[in-house]
Amino acid sequence: MERIGRPKMINYSMFELNETMLNAKYGLPSEIKYCRSCVISNQRPNSTVEYQHTQKSKKETIHFDEEGVCDACRFAQSKNKTIDWKQREQELIELCNKYRKNDGSYDCLIPGSGGKDSFYAAHILKYKYGMHPLTVTWAPHIYTPWGWKNFQAWLNAGFDNFLCTPNPRTHRLLTRLAVENLFHPFQPFIFGQKSLAPKMALLHDIKLVFYGENEAEYGNPISDTSTAKRDWKYFTAEDKSKVYLGGVSLEALESNFGVESVDLLPYIPADPDEIERKKVEVHYLGYYLRWHPQECYYYAVENGGFKPSPERTVGTYSKYNSIDDKIDDFHYYTTYIKFGIGRSTYDAAQEIRNEEITREEGVALVKKFDGEFPERFAEEIFQYLSIPERDFPVAFKRFEQPMMDRDYFMALTDTFRSPHLWKRVYGSWKLRHPIYEE
Amino acid sequence: MSNIRLIARLDVKGPNLVKGVQLEGLRKIGDPNVFAKEYYDQGIDELIYIDIVASLYERNNLLEIVRRTTKDVFIPLTVGGGLRTVENVRDVLRAGADKVAINTAAIKRPELIREISKRFGSQCMVLSIEAKKVREGKWEAYYDNGREKTGIDVIEWAKRGYEHGAGEILLTSVDMEGTAKGFDIDLVKAASDAVPIPLIASGGMGNVNDMINVINDGCADAIAMAHVLHYKKLTIQEVREYAASRNVNVRRLKLWSR
Repeated sequence: MERIGRPKMINYSMFELNETMLNAKYGLPSEIKYCRSCVISNQRPNSTVEYQHTQKSKKETIHFDEEGVCDACRFAQSKNKTIDWKQREQELIELCNKYRKNDGSYDCLIPGSGGKDSFYAAHILKYKYGMHPLTVTWAPHIYTPWGWKNFQAWLNAGFDNFLCTPNPRTHRLLTRLAVENLFHPFQPFIFGQKSLAPKMALLHDIKLVFYGENEAEYGNPISDTSTAKRDWKYFTAEDKSKVYLGGVSLEALESNFGVESVDLLPYIPADPDEIERKKVEVHYLGYYLRWHPQECYYYAVENGGFKPSPERTVGTYSKYNSIDDKIDDFHYYTTYIKFGIGRSTYDAAQEIRNEEITREEGVALVKKFDGEFPERFAEEIFQYLSIPERDFPVAFKRFEQPMMDRDYFMALTDTFRSPHLWKRVYGSWKLRHPIYEE
Repeated sequence: MSNIRLIARLDVKGPNLVKGVQLEGLRKIGDPNVFAKEYYDQGIDELIYIDIVASLYERNNLLEIVRRTTKDVFIPLTVGGGLRTVENVRDVLRAGADKVAINTAAIKRPELIREISKRFGSQCMVLSIEAKKVREGKWEAYYDNGREKTGIDVIEWAKRGYEHGAGEILLTSVDMEGTAKGFDIDLVKAASDAVPIPLIASGGMGNVNDMINVINDGCADAIAMAHVLHYKKLTIQEVREYAASRNVNVRRLKLWSR
């Protein structure tokens, strides 16, 4: 068995200014285009089935129509104009009437972090639509202090909750592997985020699961939204031998990295047969209620003790979304490296679609904040990504350099840059086609 | 004792009056000129316009709104947001503003305070401070609308601002702003004890008692209101009458004579 080697030196000639052979990694479109309506680029990958995500995976990317407008913007326009929200709310009331229980048991399950969106979802379902929700939470890699306080504030607004914290040693190893193989430190979180709720629903015999926003809001294919039922493929893997975590198969994790199968339990999705047999339904609240992130923030402040973070989030201008995990900064840094899309681009695109800011403002924000290196938690994250012998006696041997440090991370970063996105200018990295140079 | 001034604060972004919570999640409220005129008609003492994203975008486009406002509003108008140079200040004053509020640019270059007060007089140089509580009795100054930390102690900064020639301080509590849960009275008290110049308390007013508390216990010289006015929870007349009933010196005016 080979070890995972130190990052290889990259061939800088591929990144020269006048280089014309610009290979696009990850199956990304070779020509970079920006949505005419928001600031997202055509490089944005759709949500994938993370259990099959390996180094060889090719991305499917956001669809732009013939007018150069992305699906997420089209969806927002239809949301704002064509959808009859009164009718949709009526559908929600009927759904709730069908599932509501008054026998002292839970009637729906709401996964969430206690951020503004899950606060809104749980609160409105309980207090406006008379449901009896159980909330479940998949722990972040490393809580920020304000993230933990908001989580507590959520429960204090009147909810039972199960917090599932995967074994941090396994989680660290998977995160390291996901970084090495996929440059995707957020991936281990995504597993639990998607699989925990259906599993907990089975465990507690709850037939109705509510997610918040529909992913189509951010640009997965529009056809996904014609039904609110969540596509099974996102959280059910039918054959466990086909499952990869951090780009490594379950089998290899056990035989090479000293992981026991019980350690992987939290990451394994629910059995689709059982979900079908027990008739667990998964619905998006965003299908029924018009989702407006900023109004969720107001709602969470007014109805609970939600607080924005005390400082601007690295790589963007906002303080109120996705603020509870210290690894988040790195997640968006890696998307910036791989796809040229940083956190500010995601935030601005969303706010443009919701008509909070103009495209012009969005472009200025992207120019100012996108791709900022996440200095504030860097040392802590490097420690988190390290695999010392004491904690990982087997996995330790599988890394040429088990300890992560800044030099290693920066060298690894460069191996994930795609020549069609990046160029070298006087020894520093620049995007070849940033939106503000259009 | 001079009158306590009642001030309407209007945060502006692009063409819109906006309102956030803790300076975040800016909700569009309406046309700033319409609201300004309404508050003037109701008898507000002063207005403050802040282009709260000007520094973020490094732009300044309040001039047109200021010009339009000063056509039919005849009370002191303070304008802030993105003013970086003496020339910027001159332009805003020419457009009809009476005072300017400076935050980001002063933090980056404190001499600007002296330059402005020397050129236009300290009465028009309002130092705007965004204060975020670090712990009991300690606050840190922020800029870019509560986004960026400075490591600068608010009380020290207020003193320095006064020494540089600031004529007034607009003190906004980032923690209380938009929450309608009351002012950070300890903050206002600490600052008003530290400097002899007038202090405008901003951020947190939810009812008339909040105002009384920050005047009596915080020793504020002026009150900035936004949430309670924009969302029509209080009228200026109600605020003024309540203040008078609690023996606070406020301007007594014959309303409706305008």
